[in-house]
Amino acid sequence: MLKVENLHAKVGDKEILKGINLEVKAGEVHAIMGPNGSGKSTLASVLAGNEKFTVTEGKVEFEGENLLDLPIEERSRKGLFLGFQYPVEIPGVSMANFMKIAVNEQRKYRGLEPLTAAEYLKMMKEKSAIVELDSKLTSRAVNEGFSGGEKKKNEIFQMAMLDPKLAILDETDSGLDIDALRIVATGVTRLKREDNATVVITHYQRLLDYIVPDYVHVLYKGRIIYTGDKTLALKLEKEGYDWLINDYKEE
Amino acid sequence: MTERIIEAFAASPIPAGCCTESGRWVLRAEADTDITIAEGAAVELLIVDGAKAVNIDIDVRKGATLRIVEVVAQHSATQLSIAIANNGECSLTQVVTSPSDVRVAASLVEEGASFKHNGCFILVGEEQGSVTVDVNHMAAECISHTAVKGVAADKAHGSFSGLVYVAPGAQHTDSVQSSRNVTIGEARIETLPQLEIYADDVKCSHGATVGQMDSEAILYMRQRGLSTAQAKRLQIEGFVQDVAMHSAIESLAEELMTLINAKLNSL
Repeated sequence: MLKVENLHAKVGDKEILKGINLEVKAGEVHAIMGPNGSGKSTLASVLAGNEKFTVTEGKVEFEGENLLDLPIEERSRKGLFLGFQYPVEIPGVSMANFMKIAVNEQRKYRGLEPLTAAEYLKMMKEKSAIVELDSKLTSRAVNEGFSGGEKKKNEIFQMAMLDPKLAILDETDSGLDIDALRIVATGVTRLKREDNATVVITHYQRLLDYIVPDYVHVLYKGRIIYTGDKTLALKLEKEGYDWLINDYKEE
Repeated sequence: MTERIIEAFAASPIPAGCCTESGRWVLRAEADTDITIAEGAAVELLIVDGAKAVNIDIDVRKGATLRIVEVVAQHSATQLSIAIANNGECSLTQVVTSPSDVRVAASLVEEGASFKHNGCFILVGEEQGSVTVDVNHMAAECISHTAVKGVAADKAHGSFSGLVYVAPGAQHTDSVQSSRNVTIGEARIETLPQLEIYADDVKCSHGATVGQMDSEAILYMRQRGLSTAQAKRLQIEGFVQDVAMHSAIESLAEELMTLINAKLNSL
């Protein structure tokens, strides 16, 4: 589904990604961990297509197509979803209206008719139940005045609405209390299928109690330096990163 | 478009000169007009500007409540002067979709008067327009809130000028004035909010912003599959539709939104 080869990217003059290799197949869950500043969020942004970053080397294939050639909105319509670490507030723009345009743009891209008002309402109701999102929030402005937990639930609600092939969740667990974490993580698990894939970026093992990864990667100084199974996350939680990164510190 | 709003409102022409009692009225601003709102009356008034420069003088008498929606959809230079007496209340919503010079002067002449004003202007192409708001606090214990939003696109040029004057002795004045503006492309908006205060126990604040659109929000919307054009449009729509949503006359909110959308379609 996703094949990243030797990906290098920079912001301004600063190279942040220094040769990422990663392959994600349908049905898989990958976790990306690593110390602060190692490039995790940059990787998510580059894959989503944020123009702030420049790709200097390497290639990314998504569903057999060159992802790097596509603008951000086309990547989305093709089925790539990014759950933002800091969801943006958009005053005056209602959540329901915004999502309706998003869903119908995606349908148009896939050659489908737009949803009728009744179909759309039904869909909103079903999908907001997945993350126990208060239906009142969908009539409010996007993320405006939402609590931290509501913002993250709202990200997963949008993911449910757009039904992506590949979801990249950038620290979706940050700033959540235990209950919100359970609801958000359970929501992600419910959306899991054999034909889609999830990449979760996280600092904490506790998220991975709910979203069980097939692979855990450690990102450090712009490279994936180690890959293991779900037990790696437990080991990192207990022992930290030092045993892994000592060899790379000198660089 | 404005005819449709008049039709939807279904009100009789307001009688000029003599005292207006409670009810809904419409005024086509085609000639100078004097209006008096009777003591204690509750009046809803739709003003539709014509293409002439006219003066509309309104007296809001003691305890009266006047709600005005003013629609400026053709090139106009209307001056609206409102004097509000003891415990009188006037709320005004202005929607300006044409290149016009719109002026409002509100005088709070007796204690307990209040004036609430929200408005927006949208300019595109090479249009030029201005909104001028003068609020005069002549007596103590009065309230005034003014919030005007401006949008200018392409090579348009807009300006907002606001003055809050607080006369000597107008103690416990509570006044807020804000001017928020968004420019797109090479457009310009100038904003000049001013305070002139001659009383020492008052609460007055003012603020002005001119900015481009929020690029983080555009990026967020694009990640969900909206085109840049759709994302920008939605953001601008949200910014100005807020004025229609808080229309002084609630039943006109939908019509005002339609009017604003029609103008935004030319962006």
